Amino acid sequence: MAALSFVVFLSLVALTAPMIVGTRPIVCKYKGEIYFPATYYYWRILGLNTQAYKTEAVFTNDKFRGVYPGNLKKNDPDSWAIWPLVYQDPYRPIEADEWPGQPESPSGIEGAPNKYNLLGTNDDGVDVFAQMVHATQISLLVGFVSMGIAALIGVIVGALAGFYGGWIDVILSRVIEVVMCLPTLILILAVRSILDDITIWHLMVLIGATGWTGIARLTRAEFMKIREIEYVSAARSLGAGQMRLMFVHILRNALAPILVPISFGIASAILTEGALSFLGFGAPPPNPSWGTLLSEGRTRIQTMWWLVVYPGMAIFSTVLAYNLIGEGVQEATDPRTRETS
Amino acid sequence: MKWRLISCFLLCAFLLIAGGAGCGGSTPTTTDSPNSGASSSEEETSSKDGMPGEEGEEVAEEEPEMLLEPFDAPPLEEIDAKVKWVDQRVIDPIELLAKQLEKEPPLTDVETALQLKNNFPPNKENNDKILSALGRLPKSDQEVDYDATIVRHVGGDAKSTNPLMISSVTEFDVVGLMGIEIYGFDWNMDPLANSDYVVSWQTSEDGMYDKLVLRDDIYWSDGKKFTAQDVMFSFQVIMDPESRVPAVKQGTDKIRWVQAYDDQTVVYFHRESTPVNVWNINFPVIPKHVYEETIKEDPTMRLSDAHAKLESNPICGGAYKLVKHDRGQEIVLERREDFYMVDGKQVRRKPYFKTIRFRIIEDPNTAMLALKTGSIEEMAITADLWTTQANDDKFYEKNTKVTATEWVSFHICWNTKSPFFSDKRVRQAMSYAFDHQEMIDKLFSGLYEPAAGPFHPTSWMSPKPMPEPYQQDLDKAEELLDEAGWVDSDFDGIRDKEINGKRVRFEFSVTCPPSPIMERVARLLKRSLSKIGVACNIKLVEFTALQQMNLDGQFEATLGGWGTSTDPYSSENIFATGEGRNYGRYSNPEIDKLFDQGQKEFDREKRAEIYGEIHKILYEDQVYTWLFYRNSFYGFNKKLRGYRFSPRGPYNYSPGFNSIWAAQP
Repeated sequence: MAALSFVVFLSLVALTAPMIVGTRPIVCKYKGEIYFPATYYYWRILGLNTQAYKTEAVFTNDKFRGVYPGNLKKNDPDSWAIWPLVYQDPYRPIEADEWPGQPESPSGIEGAPNKYNLLGTNDDGVDVFAQMVHATQISLLVGFVSMGIAALIGVIVGALAGFYGGWIDVILSRVIEVVMCLPTLILILAVRSILDDITIWHLMVLIGATGWTGIARLTRAEFMKIREIEYVSAARSLGAGQMRLMFVHILRNALAPILVPISFGIASAILTEGALSFLGFGAPPPNPSWGTLLSEGRTRIQTMWWLVVYPGMAIFSTVLAYNLIGEGVQEATDPRTRETS
Repeated sequence: MKWRLISCFLLCAFLLIAGGAGCGGSTPTTTDSPNSGASSSEEETSSKDGMPGEEGEEVAEEEPEMLLEPFDAPPLEEIDAKVKWVDQRVIDPIELLAKQLEKEPPLTDVETALQLKNNFPPNKENNDKILSALGRLPKSDQEVDYDATIVRHVGGDAKSTNPLMISSVTEFDVVGLMGIEIYGFDWNMDPLANSDYVVSWQTSEDGMYDKLVLRDDIYWSDGKKFTAQDVMFSFQVIMDPESRVPAVKQGTDKIRWVQAYDDQTVVYFHRESTPVNVWNINFPVIPKHVYEETIKEDPTMRLSDAHAKLESNPICGGAYKLVKHDRGQEIVLERREDFYMVDGKQVRRKPYFKTIRFRIIEDPNTAMLALKTGSIEEMAITADLWTTQANDDKFYEKNTKVTATEWVSFHICWNTKSPFFSDKRVRQAMSYAFDHQEMIDKLFSGLYEPAAGPFHPTSWMSPKPMPEPYQQDLDKAEELLDEAGWVDSDFDGIRDKEINGKRVRFEFSVTCPPSPIMERVARLLKRSLSKIGVACNIKLVEFTALQQMNLDGQFEATLGGWGTSTDPYSSENIFATGEGRNYGRYSNPEIDKLFDQGQKEFDREKRAEIYGEIHKILYEDQVYTWLFYRNSFYGFNKKLRGYRFSPRGPYNYSPGFNSIWAAQP
């Protein structure tokens, strides 16, 4: 339960990240129009830079240069704005007096956690707290999207193999085995070297496209078991089509155990993304990612502990939470564990 | 073809990364040939910042087979009658240094200097004091501990101990000490011949010939005499296409012929008269009597048993010989007593160290710990360690550290063939938009200096006065972009312009090697440009792929660096029209003309003017946005004295390492 609420909490943080910490107003009225400059951050995280620039177009043309607090009032005295809770940016250090009374962001070893930089700053002076908060978006996105892809492929392949059996099963099972042998990390590195501009979406697709085997095997086994049950024969004799049998009648009953590898998969996808960023093969810079932060901290571990401790804790607890959820689901769906407990 | 030839003494590969610049582990691997080393070479300093296992070696391109055409050397008398010889400098480099030091009185005494802490940045005073007090030669032999061992740090192993086969920085360091270094250059990058080996060195007035007379008391470590025949033989081996000599060939292949007239006299015949011939004749030598037979069996010098034996037990002509080579661990050299004592008489200076151990440690953090405990005694310190790990009491207990100018500059290269950067105003706008101050202060904590143009301000070829480095000025940048026609006409936050009837958004990619420091520079560029409505995407490209993209001109902007050459002539390869390393495809007839002039002019003053002019034009055009100069940072054990820095660091010049000595304990 604690794990579940932690994940809910993380999702909330991810959804509201630009409102928690950022340098762009959540809502502002400027020259008679209402704008939502904070949506910039969502677009950036999603890799849609064109959209991100578009949200800022008015302000760029008025020479805001990414700094809102002073410029809003200067260019339009009647403007108003609602600001995020913390004035820090995940992409750049803060300059002195950008926000009234807030000093310039320290950098390097002077960037220890302080009043303005809750979790310290990195080498460039970029706030760690801001990066951590915005990075939750990446982590959750990677976890859900890549496992969504994996689940889709896994369930379909498993369903086909399990439902039809015979030579279809033989072929699909071999395919599963081949994919299982592919080392994800190395595959991603290889694809990286071929593709020109890699984005977070490529990573998610790759992680998803290699991570479906466990799901497929489980689905196959469940399908093989369930298709022999009488209600399936009943449905068949009532004239239900194959698609209907597979995805309406059987899948529903097979779904519970399949949830287990999915939630474990989310955890491992987050880990994979962290590892890739750590190795410098993640989304193109500057991307706020826990793994990127960790790798920055790696060389400075003796002097800048905050670069390692906080993102490390974040990855650890998130992965733990998903694993706990996975185990919870397993316990709930597996009758044997239920009996013994 | 032409650029390959020029790359001879240009070896000016792309600096993968600021070796020292970086956060994090950097092991500089420099490709360097002795002749390019001594010559105008631009070095490739690629380092493994965050890229473990990457060898930043500039592997010579597959050269087209170029057979050395036979050449009938005219008799010496004929040449002597034909040309007028001009004496060149033959000198003992240590004596040269001694003379120079007389002119530079020490700023403090040794004891005080050893107590000083180097507080650069911001203060360079202590650094200067340490360098001036400890960078001294011994007053008398009593001061020197001639039985001392020095433990040096190298970032990678030497693949080969054959002087002709060297290509990495470690090989250059190690093999350089074992080899006969006939020619060299001093800390001003002025060429010289070493009086340890040379009696006289003359160049013909028309620059087409060089005549060298060798001493007759030089012996190889197997007791055989070193003669002019060895020089001629080495030249032929280098030029033999089957020998596949990697780095050394560059530059040497511009010589037409090398002829030994007797055991002492060598004449070099040049193909053309250029001021850089003096660098081309500087190639390493191997003993003819050893290799003559073995090379017939195995022209590659890599495969046969005999050559394998020579690898582990090379015949050396220099001051030190190899006694141990533990792959990946250490390389041990020992002083050759028969180098300076011949027939019971001392004929040369006694080398200061009895033993030199090279310890191979790849990770700079580990090396730093070894330096602190005294298990290595010198190392190049990376910039991030300089202000952190190399700053505590434990460090100063056994060591001291110094920094000096090095002619290595970094830049953003704009592709002038791309629709964005063909306009000079746009390139200038980019330079105005970039936050130079933040880069120097934040990224490099003030350790590096801002760069302003291709030549280093302390070099003779730089213009006087130097142009001012760019400062961030966003208003000016926007003005220039507006002028050039880049305005945000469709209100999407990005500037655009109609080119050939099509609306082009100002969105480009900057390619960047996967090194933390370059990545940070790229991030800063992106951030700076987003403020003025220019979208910049960062494309991390692995080093070898990056180099190919650069050569093919397939980029819009790219981050890199050049080691500055000793002779500015080599920059032709980077900026003249159609040259190989002119990655940005920059073309300016005026520049081409000036480079031609510079190549024909022999007078130093006039050449300085020509290259100063080139510098100014390039800077005005902002072919590159010049970013910063990377300096040398070194830690030395407190027992060491006599170090001095050249624009190529503390070792790779004359006297370089040879002037370093250990004080009596």
